[in-house]
Amino acid sequence: MIPIEHFLIVSASLFVIGVFGIFLNRKNIIIILMSIELILASVNINFVVFSSYLGDLVGQVFAMFILTVAAAEAAIGLAIIVCFYRLRNSIFIEDANTMKG
Amino acid sequence: MALYFFYFFASTAILSSFFVIFANNPVHSVLWLIVTFFSVAGFFILVGAEFLALLLMIVYVGALAVLFLFVVMMLNINFAGLRSGVAQYLPFGILIGLVIFIELILAFVPWDFKEQSFNNLSSPINLSETNTVALGKVVYTDYFLLFQCAGIILLIAMIGSIVLTLRSRPDVKRQNITEQIFRDPNSSIEVKDINPGEGI
Amino acid sequence: MTGYLEEYFPLVVFFGLSLAFGLILMLAPLVTAVSNPDNEKNSAYECGFEPFESARLKFDIRFYLVAILFVIFDLEVAFLFPWAVGFQHIGSLGFWSMMLFLLILTIGFLYEWKKGALEWE
Repeated sequence: MIPIEHFLIVSASLFVIGVFGIFLNRKNIIIILMSIELILASVNINFVVFSSYLGDLVGQVFAMFILTVAAAEAAIGLAIIVCFYRLRNSIFIEDANTMKG
Repeated sequence: MALYFFYFFASTAILSSFFVIFANNPVHSVLWLIVTFFSVAGFFILVGAEFLALLLMIVYVGALAVLFLFVVMMLNINFAGLRSGVAQYLPFGILIGLVIFIELILAFVPWDFKEQSFNNLSSPINLSETNTVALGKVVYTDYFLLFQCAGIILLIAMIGSIVLTLRSRPDVKRQNITEQIFRDPNSSIEVKDINPGEGI
Repeated sequence: MTGYLEEYFPLVVFFGLSLAFGLILMLAPLVTAVSNPDNEKNSAYECGFEPFESARLKFDIRFYLVAILFVIFDLEVAFLFPWAVGFQHIGSLGFWSMMLFLLILTIGFLYEWKKGALEWE
């Protein structure tokens, strides 16, 4: 049996890499969406590992719902990007400042 | 043996997720994201969540990565401009990342389950049945409302993406099959009686 | 737990073999093929010329819409698997909860049909 801390450290590093990716690629919204997917994957690892080590299935059920929400979120996010690209012909986040006062 | 596989998956997961955020070309980022999800699916198999591992493969690798690739290909973007200013954000990003990482490690590393938590399981895993059957027993009955919420979320995603991206072009002629089928010979054919040598 | 992981051994063998085979096919030309490039050989010749612009072509937006609808119905089918496998254990509540789920998604399907999102113009 692999010690549970091993999994937790990997999922923590995936989470941090995701957050880091959001900071690093502030202009490229596609990479930001991918970083969010990384964060959700790390959360899923935590859910599944705790569920397995505790012997309770609930974590896996929730991981399944997170997967659903992540897919829906990515679909809507990409649709918004496509819409924005049509409007501005770019995907620079800095162009999205029309609502700034 | 399982430990070696764990180290293999862990190293590929972390390395490829680094490449996701550092790749110059978003297409490469998407491909590295696929590798990351492969290794996460490997973790799931190592801890016994087979169904979720295969779900991750089907949904992420099969569908979501294709979606990302489509968008990257669809938008003709100047990718060099998007990379500018990375150095400016790097120190702040590293600082935030380090702080979060240290906090998570402090929270996680001497991990120990409390004795009571093993007595309060709501749906204990029974190793004699497969993972898929066990999930099927729980999801649709005990989590009825959450399951319906998932359905509504999918519905909203479907409607939202259609509303956001679909533009019907008025200049394109479309086939209307019902109209074709219900065409009446009386209204569309005119019978004329023509005498020879006269024409209409 | 270890017995369970042993069932995945054929998968490991399969992945290892496919990885090795792919690497061999990629690396063999580097070792065996004759390669002595010079400047003229590598330049564009005859009908070939340097490309004027990026080879990347814009896709039609409809490909994206089809891909989104695929993702959503993919998830729906993913939820059907455990339902079908554990069908005999969940009783009528499980049956009707899945029917409700399918009904909700059928509403979406009818919506996109009426909107013409499935048509190719």
